Amino acid sequence: MENLLKMLLKNKELPARALPLVESLAESGDKALFAIVGDMGLDGKYGETTLLFTAKKAVLCDASLEGVREYLYEDMEDVRAKRMYGNATLSAKMKSGKREIFFRYTYGVAALCDAAALFISHLNEGKSFNEEYAIISVAYEKALSVCPKCGRPLLHPGAECIMCRSKKKIVKQLSKYILPHTKTLVFCIFLSLFTTFMALVPPAITGFIVDAVFPGGSGTSTIPILGAIKNAFQGEPKKVLTAMIILLLSTYILQYGIGIIRSYLMRMVGNKTVAALRNDIYRKAQYLPMKFYDKTSTGSVINRISGDSATLQSFMLRITQEAVVHLFQLVGIVVIMISLNPGLTLLSLLPIPFVVFASRFFSKKMRPLYRRIWRRWTKVSSVMADTIPCIKVVKSFTGEERSTAVFEEKNEDWLNMELRLGKIVTAFPQIISFCVTCGSLIIWGIGGGKVIDGVGGYSAGLIVSFISYASMFYNPVTFFANLSDSFQSALASTEKILDILEAEPEIELPNSVTPDHFKGKIEFNHVSFSFDRTKKVLDDVTFTINPGEVVGIVGTTGSGKSTLVNLLMRFYDGYSGEILVDGHNIKNFNLAGYRSQIGYVQQEPQMFSDTIFNNIAYSVPGSTVEDVMAAADTANAHGFICRQPDGYDTMLGERGVGVSGGEKQRLSIARAVLMRPSMLIFDEATAAVDSETEHLIQDAIDKLIEGKTTLMIAHRLSTLRRANRILVVDNGHIIENGTPEELMALKGKYYKLVQIQSMAAESERMRREERF
Amino acid sequence: MNRIYVTKDDKIEKYENHLVKLTLSAAHSEEAGEGEIVGLEPRRLFPVSNPDSYITLLDEDGKERAVIRSYSEIDEASAATVKQSLADYYLVPKILRIISKAEKYGTLRWTVETDRGIIAFDIRNRNHDIHVMRSGFVRVRDANDNRYIIEDCNKLDKHSYALLIADT
Repeated sequence: MENLLKMLLKNKELPARALPLVESLAESGDKALFAIVGDMGLDGKYGETTLLFTAKKAVLCDASLEGVREYLYEDMEDVRAKRMYGNATLSAKMKSGKREIFFRYTYGVAALCDAAALFISHLNEGKSFNEEYAIISVAYEKALSVCPKCGRPLLHPGAECIMCRSKKKIVKQLSKYILPHTKTLVFCIFLSLFTTFMALVPPAITGFIVDAVFPGGSGTSTIPILGAIKNAFQGEPKKVLTAMIILLLSTYILQYGIGIIRSYLMRMVGNKTVAALRNDIYRKAQYLPMKFYDKTSTGSVINRISGDSATLQSFMLRITQEAVVHLFQLVGIVVIMISLNPGLTLLSLLPIPFVVFASRFFSKKMRPLYRRIWRRWTKVSSVMADTIPCIKVVKSFTGEERSTAVFEEKNEDWLNMELRLGKIVTAFPQIISFCVTCGSLIIWGIGGGKVIDGVGGYSAGLIVSFISYASMFYNPVTFFANLSDSFQSALASTEKILDILEAEPEIELPNSVTPDHFKGKIEFNHVSFSFDRTKKVLDDVTFTINPGEVVGIVGTTGSGKSTLVNLLMRFYDGYSGEILVDGHNIKNFNLAGYRSQIGYVQQEPQMFSDTIFNNIAYSVPGSTVEDVMAAADTANAHGFICRQPDGYDTMLGERGVGVSGGEKQRLSIARAVLMRPSMLIFDEATAAVDSETEHLIQDAIDKLIEGKTTLMIAHRLSTLRRANRILVVDNGHIIENGTPEELMALKGKYYKLVQIQSMAAESERMRREERF
Repeated sequence: MNRIYVTKDDKIEKYENHLVKLTLSAAHSEEAGEGEIVGLEPRRLFPVSNPDSYITLLDEDGKERAVIRSYSEIDEASAATVKQSLADYYLVPKILRIISKAEKYGTLRWTVETDRGIIAFDIRNRNHDIHVMRSGFVRVRDANDNRYIIEDCNKLDKHSYALLIADT
């Protein structure tokens, strides 16, 4: 039995109900090969179900049904896995001729059910059993590479889930930034201890002045050193007072002088840590996959790099430094107070439990508020990051008021949340200090009473020192109270930063090879891809492009043609099936090396605010002037660059620089040319320019694609006149594939598109002729 | 079409004003289809980062006819002609001293002494229009797109330096 279960492929442990079934199937000689443990019954209610697959049939074990149901593969036709909304079904045309749903499930097991549906259909088509079983095994392997706790996909099967790992590691991660400065920090702590000690001296001296220097004091002193000084001046009060003042002055000078050095060192370490942290986050952000940026707005990423790292830095320093100092101060005060008078000490410590209680109470309230404020603020900055760059759209649709309203709304949300927090944050320290000061009232009341009564050991000086110490006591206590406050915001920031620092970067296999030069054969083998598991953007796409072919990819918007390119560029890795270039799986290539072989020209040319030269040379840093000029020649860009007053030194994105969209597009082509790519991808490169510029760009493209495998996504079929093969993509499928002539003869979708566009062009021409 | 790089066998002479005449060598004239091109305007391709190399010669239509890689590749007389022409075309005064600075509504107004005399100008955006290189070289652009340079800001007098550095 155990052996049977070991051999069985499954996504989860089988429910107890299904176990006897496995055994009986094995006894019947048709043993179960793989099992899908589902989560929904046929009635649409949640419940554990099991669908077992053998070489001949599928057996369903559903808690909502009596017994089991068996479905023989030979009875089934057209097996389909259909994804609906929040649930999905497996169905097939049964012998009766009716389509019957035989398994219902949520998206959790959808990938396996897709594989299972293919398994059945392929077996029915008479494909090799071993091959199909191998495909199923791969599907299971993939399904298992998600975190069992939270369901996030893992880097590789068996990897540790980042979200579920222990918080100790978070501390470890952050300490990485503090550790290089250990020496300075230890030195700072040492300095702090010194200043703390200095701060403890003055109250003792003032107490001494009241008791032993002023007339009417008790005349006795509990501090031997000060007593010795008094004796040195033969008890002459004025001279002793002067000596005491000089003593006070020198402690102050030491205390604050060292304070300056310490603050400077702290600030330096602080800035260094935040710089290092920011560098790391930025670097990491560069290597995050496109998938991450689809989910996270760029505004919030920017916020994390600039804002959160600073919050975190200040907190880390507070923990390592001030917390230590204040702790020592607290201990020092208590020790001195106890040595002066244990009874009074106990009295002045009375408010402590209350302070601790209040601190915990408030922190619980504040914690969620801080996170909400952060989210509100991200929304505010998102509005800015969205609308300011798109100001043209805003203006052209007179959306100024609307976007202002949206901004004001988000800003108000933020304000309200801040105000809510403000109430708590401001009340909290005040209440705490109120409690602490009440401690001094106790000292006045009880201690003062004892002084009046003349109880032994109580003097006016003692009370004065005590009050001073008690008020100093207030400092570290409020610090610790406020620590929870900065701890909360730091925790919120940490989460955001770790989200980036620990996000999985683009997947690079350990033994990746750097490709040399591609001949340019591209193969897609059964490639399927979906962004969110609900709708497949590409569905079982298979095609081959031979070296040197110029391939036009046409199709309606949303048909998946851009996704084809995104997958080929390896912007997304989570697809099933294989993409091969020159016969090698592209996942085995080193990412940077692979991408540098592909010249990718986007629809919207994106330029950095840098010189034209640097923008072109971006693809190959360190290019020579003549290489860049040659690239600009090929791209038909050199001419207009010459005419710029600053030539190649023209700064883009600056006031007064007249670089049009078409010119930018030619710069981006120059950028691709410079790289000497072995394959080219044009993603609607001429979609946004006028016909004359299109002609220039077309000319540039023609020069460029000579002998290179080229993919061109195009709406305008005129762009594709050089194409010797057309792929028509529709709804995630390749519906037509062949030379333009073949497809015209086919009279399919391509034929229709050509008809529509030539008709449009014709009527455009006629209209123009009429006008002239 | 290959780009023609001017060599010592080609001659550049003054034509009219700052325009020049290019007489091509036998090999080059075959390439270009004509032996003599008049009315060419020398222009720097890298006026900021590399003003003495890669000088393009544009015809009246703004079309590039030839490129000078560097002065050392052409004969001295031609180089002198080109330098003279460029000196006429590119007028970039050197700021010697910043006399005063005023600020109104975020616009800076500098009064400076340059190698061409004293002038006052506005700077609209101090972040974009004042570039200080690490070497001490400074490029300034005024509100009307005129350019000025300071060869080494560290060599300015104390007063000028203080005025400059406050905005960088």
